[in-house]
Amino acid sequence: MSNFQILKLEYGACVDALSEALRNGDETAFFTAVDHIVRMREPQTLTEIRKLTGDLQKALERFSIESRLADIAENEIPDARTRLTHVIKMTDEAAHRTLDLVERSGPLAERTAREAAALIDSLQTYRDRPAGGGFEGAVRSIDAFLPVVRAIEAFLPTVRTDSEQIRRNLADVLLAQGYQDLTGQIIRSVIKLVGELEETLASLTRLSGDVVEHTTLGESPQTGHGPVVPGVTRGEVATGQTDVDELLSGLGM
Amino acid sequence: MSKDLKFLVVDDFSTMRRIIKNLLHDLGYPNVAEADDGKTALPMLQAGGYDFLITDWNMPGMPGLELIKAVRADAKLAKMPVLMLTAEAKREQIIEAAQAGVNGYVIKPFTAETLKEKLDKILGAGK
Repeated sequence: MSNFQILKLEYGACVDALSEALRNGDETAFFTAVDHIVRMREPQTLTEIRKLTGDLQKALERFSIESRLADIAENEIPDARTRLTHVIKMTDEAAHRTLDLVERSGPLAERTAREAAALIDSLQTYRDRPAGGGFEGAVRSIDAFLPVVRAIEAFLPTVRTDSEQIRRNLADVLLAQGYQDLTGQIIRSVIKLVGELEETLASLTRLSGDVVEHTTLGESPQTGHGPVVPGVTRGEVATGQTDVDELLSGLGM
Repeated sequence: MSKDLKFLVVDDFSTMRRIIKNLLHDLGYPNVAEADDGKTALPMLQAGGYDFLITDWNMPGMPGLELIKAVRADAKLAKMPVLMLTAEAKREQIIEAAQAGVNGYVIKPFTAETLKEKLDKILGAGK
């Protein structure tokens, strides 16, 4: 049956009633027939309106998601990159600052240890000297002790200065650790952005109705994966040097 | 064991190179040169004068594994002791490094004792 035949079947009677009412000049019958035709069209019109409204809403949502996505891509991602580069710079500076201070403190502690060892030797030599009695023995004893006293006099101020310097260096090492707070805040803001990006992309996917297949980034063992991240790194991972040693000894190394 | 050994430390992070250099110094090996990836390291090694290679894995340019393969493929360098010092900890990677010919594998973060132990082991075995 053709579409027109269906229409004829659905509306034929109503149109006939309408013509009849017109012919007879029956106003009540006329409006009854018109109402009937309108009611017959209503469900279809409503469905179309509903569909149009839905499409419009989707388009608006899509537009708002896409503008947010564009904003993220144009402004916030480059910002995040700059922020993360800054994090590398800050950690690099803090590590070098710490290494500087450690390298400067090492020789001071070594000098103290070396000079203290020399003093211990001098004192031992003094104790081991041949004992001599009487006045001459006492004079010799004082003469032998004088260089030791002079060495102690030279040693103590150096130890004091060196220890104070080491103490100051340690305090600076402590301060250099402040980078953790600052970089932590920056990284947290980037995590927030990544979360928002994830949500926006998910909404867009839902609107498009596309099914997204989960794919992992191409990882080549040749270039490496970077440090193990709990909850992210997949596969069998050595949890410590003992694991590595066991694995290698199993391979005959 | 000769303390005159010349080391080449290859890592893309200057702080890590500095840490390893300091540790080697403390262990009595003051002769240490640095390179920031395999591409820089290989010509240095080929120019000669190095006795020991310590390399990271994950580096831009030429990664450590590729460097080790290049070293093992070079007749002049094939016997050089190589220690891999890396954050890469996947089982298959450790096996791959062993197959590529590393003499030792230390994962980061590491301790001074672990480094000493592996160096002593490699240098002792080479005698």
